Amino acid sequence: MTTTMNLSPELVLLNQQFADETAAITAAGQLLVDHGYVEAGYIDSMQERHALSTVYIGNHVAIPHGTESAKSQVKKTGLSILQVPQGVTFGTEQARLVIGIAGVGDEHLELLSNIAVICSDEENVERIVAATSKEEIIALLTAEV
Amino acid sequence: MATAQNGARGIRVQVQRFGSFLSGMVMPNIGAFIAWGIITALFIPTGWAPNKELGELVGPTITYLLPLLIGYTGGKLMHDVRGGVVGTLATMGVIVGTEIPMFLGAMIMGPLGGYVIKKFDQLIEGKIKPGLEMLVNNFSVGIIGGLLMLGGFKVFGPLMTGLDDIMAAAVGAIVSAHLLPLASLFIEPAKILFLNNAINHGILSPLGLDQVNEAGKSVLFLLEANPGPGLGLLLAYSFFGSGAAKKTAPGAAFIQFIGGIHEIYFPYVLMKPVLLLAMIAGGMSGILTFVLFDVGLVAPASPGSIIAVLAMASRGSYVGLIAGVLVSASVTFVVSTVLLKTSKAKETSLEEASANVSAMKGKQSIASTLVSADAKPLAEVEHIIFACDAGMGSSAMGASVLRNKINKAGLPIKVTNTSISQLPQNAELIITHRDLTERAKEQVPTAEHRSVDNFLNAGYYDQLVHEIETARNKIS
Repeated sequence: MTTTMNLSPELVLLNQQFADETAAITAAGQLLVDHGYVEAGYIDSMQERHALSTVYIGNHVAIPHGTESAKSQVKKTGLSILQVPQGVTFGTEQARLVIGIAGVGDEHLELLSNIAVICSDEENVERIVAATSKEEIIALLTAEV
Repeated sequence: MATAQNGARGIRVQVQRFGSFLSGMVMPNIGAFIAWGIITALFIPTGWAPNKELGELVGPTITYLLPLLIGYTGGKLMHDVRGGVVGTLATMGVIVGTEIPMFLGAMIMGPLGGYVIKKFDQLIEGKIKPGLEMLVNNFSVGIIGGLLMLGGFKVFGPLMTGLDDIMAAAVGAIVSAHLLPLASLFIEPAKILFLNNAINHGILSPLGLDQVNEAGKSVLFLLEANPGPGLGLLLAYSFFGSGAAKKTAPGAAFIQFIGGIHEIYFPYVLMKPVLLLAMIAGGMSGILTFVLFDVGLVAPASPGSIIAVLAMASRGSYVGLIAGVLVSASVTFVVSTVLLKTSKAKETSLEEASANVSAMKGKQSIASTLVSADAKPLAEVEHIIFACDAGMGSSAMGASVLRNKINKAGLPIKVTNTSISQLPQNAELIITHRDLTERAKEQVPTAEHRSVDNFLNAGYYDQLVHEIETARNKIS
């Protein structure tokens, strides 16, 4: 598929474990900070956004992202992918795939749309959670739909 | 009693609806007015740095650019960008057909143009052969816009000139009869009912701009925007109020006076309505001072902050301006203090009054639903919108999944996503996370609302697609 952005292996982490949702959101944000996608303050905004309305979107997927007002802290578009096989509690649900979003304008939407369609099939989510390499996860998430 | 109240409320909603429509045309363009105000204040012969060459910007900007912007915005409010384009064309007709800056004309022709093309589009919808859409789209705008231009030039232009003359003459008569302070009798109560923007930007700003064009300044910009009375009221509460009101008043005073958010003082008046007298007294004495010193602004002060007021001051107006603001603040302060100390009437608590205010605000946001209709039946829905807080994450994902299913089912339905704050007023079916559905309903009460707690729930979307298909089949 042709996208204006691609998933980068440096933003994928396998086999993560988190005590709670706050830690998971921070980790998703920190990965974006470490690789120069967002400013450090963006993580606070991600927590804020989650407090406002959960970023858990269903099918064991959570998509931490900042609030609209924090868009200025995004330096470039990227998605961080955390595989959490044992799951981390988001409210009453278990997230096993945590996708941190840094979007400049709408650049991230095409890729995110694809991910959404893929993850709407729970079997696909299972495959991603069971994947054993970063490349496999990227291939599964960017598969043609 | 209940009916009388409903009647009064109905009228208020009507006025607010109209007012918020008027201000909806002006508010987005305030930046352009400020730019013009700065250029004017600097370069006109009586300005700070008179410059004949740069001063040439002043005339065309107010004659063409600013009315066209308003006409475009007005048209766009009716029918998005196509409406904007036709509204702009129609406005151009009135502008060229008259000699004066055509704000009033723009506020009529803009929405009229938008309305006509909207009706046309509705009429031909679905009747155009595939492949010809572009042709029809372009030529319909061209032909309708061209006709409205001619109509604006020949019919509305002269009409507008007459209307504008009458209104300007009325204001002129009030000013020369030294009755302008009486305007506070209407403005102050209207402000508390959240008609502040409607009055300021719907009525006073356009008339004020006419005056600036002739006299280089206008006092009309100050009638509503003067932050003095609000400051006086909140200071009185700071010293002589009680409970929560006393504690919150100093912060509110700062927000009001420096930040220019007048709305913040409305609850303090509503909790003790007799204080309206203090607001009127302050407003009147302020206007009187402004008139005596013959001061004015060169462009609207928006928001009504002391900083915005001083920034837009015409040259030589500073002393009178500051005097007027101080006088109005002092008068309101003294009258409020007396009323707070003497009146035994039971105070509504600040919390209660705030609730009243939100209720009114709620009414206002409902009122801004310009074209209100009941929710469309599911079978006729052509556009489904997912909304979340920022419109960049969960709503985008939900929309993608549903769009995928709608396309597979071959339904002619558009699925998009946005932030709740940007939901269009004509939205048909809105899907939000259940935590946000209330907010979405407040924003667009006329739409059909659905809640989800799993944006990726393929089963739910399958069901929705099935529901829509069934509804459509029943019709056909």
